[in-house]
Amino acid sequence: MLEARLEQASILKKVVDAIKDLVQDCNFDCNDSGIALQAMDNSHVALVSMMLKAEGFSPYRCDRNIALGVNLTSLTKVLRAAQGDDILTIKAEDAPDVMNLLFESSGEDRISEYDLKLMDIDQEHLGIPETEYAATITMPSNEFRRICTDLAAMSESVGIEASKDGVKFSCNGDIGNGSVTLRSHTSIDKPENNVDIELTEPVSLTFSLKYLVNFCKAAALSNQVKICLSSEVPLLVEYNLSGSSYLRFYLAPKIGDDE
Amino acid sequence: MARTRSTKPSTAAPAADADSSRSKSAITLVPHSGEPPKVFILPSKATPEARIVTLPNPRTSQPSRYLACPDTGIYEFKRIAAPKSEPRSWLIEASTDSDQAKTGDNASAGSQVTMGSELFVATALDPLFLVLPALADAKASKGSEKPKRLFLSSDDHLDKLPQESSHLSEILRWDTTRRLIESRMSAVCDTVDAGDESMFRLNEDKLLEVIYQKAKRMSKSGLPPSMEDKFVNKVLEAPLMHRVSTASSTETDASSVSQTSTAATSIAGEQADETVTSALQASPETVELQKLKTAFEFICASYIPSGLADTLRQSFTGTGGPVDFSPLNDYLASLEKLRSETMAVRAQDYSRKRNMDEEEDEARMEKKRKMEEEKKKKASESRGVRELKKVNTSGMKKLSHFFQKK
Repeated sequence: MLEARLEQASILKKVVDAIKDLVQDCNFDCNDSGIALQAMDNSHVALVSMMLKAEGFSPYRCDRNIALGVNLTSLTKVLRAAQGDDILTIKAEDAPDVMNLLFESSGEDRISEYDLKLMDIDQEHLGIPETEYAATITMPSNEFRRICTDLAAMSESVGIEASKDGVKFSCNGDIGNGSVTLRSHTSIDKPENNVDIELTEPVSLTFSLKYLVNFCKAAALSNQVKICLSSEVPLLVEYNLSGSSYLRFYLAPKIGDDE
Repeated sequence: MARTRSTKPSTAAPAADADSSRSKSAITLVPHSGEPPKVFILPSKATPEARIVTLPNPRTSQPSRYLACPDTGIYEFKRIAAPKSEPRSWLIEASTDSDQAKTGDNASAGSQVTMGSELFVATALDPLFLVLPALADAKASKGSEKPKRLFLSSDDHLDKLPQESSHLSEILRWDTTRRLIESRMSAVCDTVDAGDESMFRLNEDKLLEVIYQKAKRMSKSGLPPSMEDKFVNKVLEAPLMHRVSTASSTETDASSVSQTSTAATSIAGEQADETVTSALQASPETVELQKLKTAFEFICASYIPSGLADTLRQSFTGTGGPVDFSPLNDYLASLEKLRSETMAVRAQDYSRKRNMDEEEDEARMEKKRKMEEEKKKKASESRGVRELKKVNTSGMKKLSHFFQKK
């Protein structure tokens, strides 16, 4: 059976909030190392990969590998009943029909318990190799979100151009064009505002802004976001959670698109 | 927790035994027998010598139960029961002044509840019907138009009835019963005296007359309401139309009025014939004729073997019959014509519309179903997922192109 206690319900709330607009149904794969999730959107051009390591829970117990197939909209409804600072416990039997969620509010001695019906989801798993990216940009997640939403107002797609000068986000739409350029920036007072660009070779790729805006919903999870680019390879947008847990998004680049 | 499981049942079993034996001693439960007791109403004039006997049913030749009384004749049982959907049972209270209750030898069995909801009422039956199959001899009459029938003694006739599980020979030992049966036989047969024995041969005209008289009496004394409703009123009812000609609407009015009037003042069928032919509508006479026909049909269908019943029906309603059915037939013919006309008008009215309706309905239902399905599907996907479906993904390769499937 599975029993996972999360001190902050907000982590799961935010993760599910970030994924639910990309994926409809997905499996939470639970094993002794933690809870993992991998799912693609309907068009199979974007992929979300989540890993909540066992260390992030206290305690964490999983005797056997369990796949919890959930509808994320339904899970959102249940999680809405939890306060951000509630203690969240996920429980499930070995061959579960339901996933049990327990919210404990330490301040108010309030305990709420929900059973969410599970579903059988047949999903293909992709093996994602460790890739050496040509460019790795680390920047404030809010900054990335702002760039994406601003440019999305003008165009469907954004060109990301990483060079030793900096990283340039540019778009070309019906009403005109625009671009945002960021340079490396290090602040000692506010390290969360750092912009760091690691470059082995310059890259220039085009991506769908709608998807990027969607990924940015995870900005609440982490102050910093890591964007990894290599030509002819999907973009990786990574949000680090506490410890070595992460939420990663992959997006296929637009190739041969003249616009 | 240390206790082993194997010891448990051995201690539990005798306890259970003791329980059951105790309950046995406390309450005596009569074991449920397969057939619940039946409730009969027997005629008070039947003598104590009356017996329930098995005789072949005149219609089906299957062994059936009858009540035979040496003095008052033979009775058939009519089963009255509530429909299966309304389960009922009888609460039977023993009358306190009965001998049994006084002596108290069977006091507990006096009052009881029976599971069966049926009530069997013994009603008088003309013994003629019982012997009719023998007289008619269905096998012989089937072949030719006018079967050759021989004069036979009553015993020879009765031997033709199926003997299997029949108590006929027993009840014939009662002199009164034998005399009763023979007298009834003579009512429908030509008889010849041969020595001290009478020989009988069925005369169909006599039989027809007897049945006709029975039917007449039945229709005069009033058919049961349900029967009258279904076989008389329904049959004679003219169809209701939007564009009914005035003639037909007055016809229906007349029929309903006339029916009530005939119930009060029974007019002889014979007398009224002239008036009927002059005015073609559901007059009291037509209703009377239909009642008579219904009564006759009922007797034929209930008590007379089917082969014989067919010939009787033909001669009864035919031209040479005892009653002239032409007014009724004329009325029914005009009614039929009217009905087919109405149907045609209605079909014209509705056929096109209904077809359209059905198709539309189907289409609408299909649409509705699809809408609901879609709604359900939509409810399970978030707004974001829906939005992403609209995104132009041209030029974007699927991720399975980049990453290998596991």
